[in-house]
Amino acid sequence: MQNIPITLAAPGMIMAKEIKASDDPASMTVCGKGVKLSESLIDRLRQMGIQSLFVEGHPIALEGETTLEEMLAALDKRFIRVAGDPLMVKIKGMYVRHIQRSMGAADGR
Amino acid sequence: MDDKRTEIRRIIKDTKSLPTLPGVIAKLGSMAENNAISVHEMARVVSSDQVLSAKVLRLVNSAFYGFSGRVSTVSNALILLGVNVVKSLAISSSIFEIMEKNVVGLWEHSMGVAVAANVMAKRLKLPEPEETSTAALLHDIGKVIIKIKLQEDFDHLTTLISNKGLMMIEAERELLETDHAEIGEWLAQTWLLPEKLIEPIACHHNVEKSVVHQSKTAVVHVADVLIKASGFGFSGDDLVPMIQPVAWNRLGLTEAILESVIEEVEDKLVEVKNFSLEIQSSDEPKT
Repeated sequence: MQNIPITLAAPGMIMAKEIKASDDPASMTVCGKGVKLSESLIDRLRQMGIQSLFVEGHPIALEGETTLEEMLAALDKRFIRVAGDPLMVKIKGMYVRHIQRSMGAADGR
Repeated sequence: MDDKRTEIRRIIKDTKSLPTLPGVIAKLGSMAENNAISVHEMARVVSSDQVLSAKVLRLVNSAFYGFSGRVSTVSNALILLGVNVVKSLAISSSIFEIMEKNVVGLWEHSMGVAVAANVMAKRLKLPEPEETSTAALLHDIGKVIIKIKLQEDFDHLTTLISNKGLMMIEAERELLETDHAEIGEWLAQTWLLPEKLIEPIACHHNVEKSVVHQSKTAVVHVADVLIKASGFGFSGDDLVPMIQPVAWNRLGLTEAILESVIEEVEDKLVEVKNFSLEIQSSDEPKT
């Protein structure tokens, strides 16, 4: 599953999470999970002011061609100064989990 | 040996040499102190500058405040966010205009910290989350001043950071005998921003120093660390600093709260990236 800006949505992508009309979980579903995007659907979502959506797999390489390994290596490098601090090590673990989840089991590349 | 420090102070005090703020902002500041003036009169003043009000509305409706697209008039913005926030938004949009073009990475970093601060303040049910976001948006304003007023020093800082593996603030202290937090504080004082915005700007690298607005300062500090951890935007170096224990304790943070904050922030950063790309493309001169 990947969260992508609507500007990068393309026909054929599959919705991995439904879109609600507002932040309120009780609000109407605008686009359901599992729906295949089409040109007209993307246009409609854009007109409704939807800014980002979750799609299946990992179809877009947002920052150049960064792979999971590269992302984790960059994370290691950023945390180099605090590698000895127990709390910061735990926080780094939270980001590792987030990166692994966001890259999805089904990496598109 | 504080020549450099004195020089920077002089630059900040010499308001003529600073990026000029629209006259509307000064007017708004004096109106805010007068209780007899209604929100609608203030809204009229802001609306008189169309470019400015468009920018304010764009910021209000961005991911930072969670109103996503629902604020359509300056009066609504004033009622929802309060005069201080709107005034600060007007200031930030003027300042960020310079940032957008010169330092896109810093602008993205600042927006990311604003979002993280907002998410955290709401999760911890702290008062005035909008003010906290605004303080977060402005927390690195001192860096903008270094970049635009001390271009040579800025280049020197960049070299120091990459050659010696320093953090921006360490390089600043080595080279300038001051740092962006203090420079930001001077600037915020010159602009007569409220204390609740000044303190987080001044103390976001030394939370212990804050005395009045401790939770806002602590939130901005932690939000700054999170955005650096996330690698979103570029604040001048890419080293994650430690969360200061005093900030962690003052906020009563737990690992579980932090992990859920991180998840929510990471989701919203996609919107922030969108917003930044949109602004960059809309500001390109149309030929």
